Amino acid sequence: MKNRIKVFRAMHDLTQEALAHDLGVTRQTILAIEKGKYDPSLDLTFKIARYFGVSIDEIFIYGETA
Amino acid sequence: MKQNTFYILAGIVGLIEVGLFYLSVEYRNPMLITGAFIIGVLLLYAAQRRITDRQVDERAALITQKAGVTTFTVFWVVFFATSLGSAVMGLGAPGFPHSSPPPKGGPGVLNVSLNSPDAGPGIPDAGAGVPNDGLIRLGYFGYIQLALLFLMFFLYVGFRIYYARKYGEWETDEEQD
Repeated sequence: MKNRIKVFRAMHDLTQEALAHDLGVTRQTILAIEKGKYDPSLDLTFKIARYFGVSIDEIFIYGETA
Repeated sequence: MKQNTFYILAGIVGLIEVGLFYLSVEYRNPMLITGAFIIGVLLLYAAQRRITDRQVDERAALITQKAGVTTFTVFWVVFFATSLGSAVMGLGAPGFPHSSPPPKGGPGVLNVSLNSPDAGPGIPDAGAGVPNDGLIRLGYFGYIQLALLFLMFFLYVGFRIYYARKYGEWETDEEQD
């Protein structure tokens, strides 16, 4: 699943480490999601969307591979 | 200490325990394996407290789960195959109530007993206090099964590395270094 986390991170001037800390996951998890190697759980998907204040489908594009 | 290092250490300690168990049986010394087992548990307990990269998030949990299930699947198949072999050994051992002699000229060479006509004269009957060949081999299967159990630690580490790589571990990015 393709996503735009990296774009949103850049817009909010956030490092992977900082985002991971705020979401309660490891930096490797954020990295893996950005690279499309790992699809986050529904819970983490909602957390990410709410963190950036946008809807899920603004960040995640279903059906596309990274 | 890394988590995978701990599992490798656990596998090594387990294999050493199997070796000491063998020696304990050979030398008829129960204290050897009893003491070794307690020391082994204490060693692993101390090592487990030194794990530094204990990551608890959903991706790490998924890697652990996948590696565990795959290792268990492989273990089940290997252990079942070994158990089938040990059952054939045990049931075919002379002296076992339902055992029958292997067919003449057939492939039943695994079950040559001390009291078979091939064993030659002068060798006492298995029922006369001498452990028979089949039962001795059955005991060796126990060693193999114990060793397999601890070898699975290494397989588990292998699967952990495989799934960690599959789910993005060691990917390069701009924040590394």
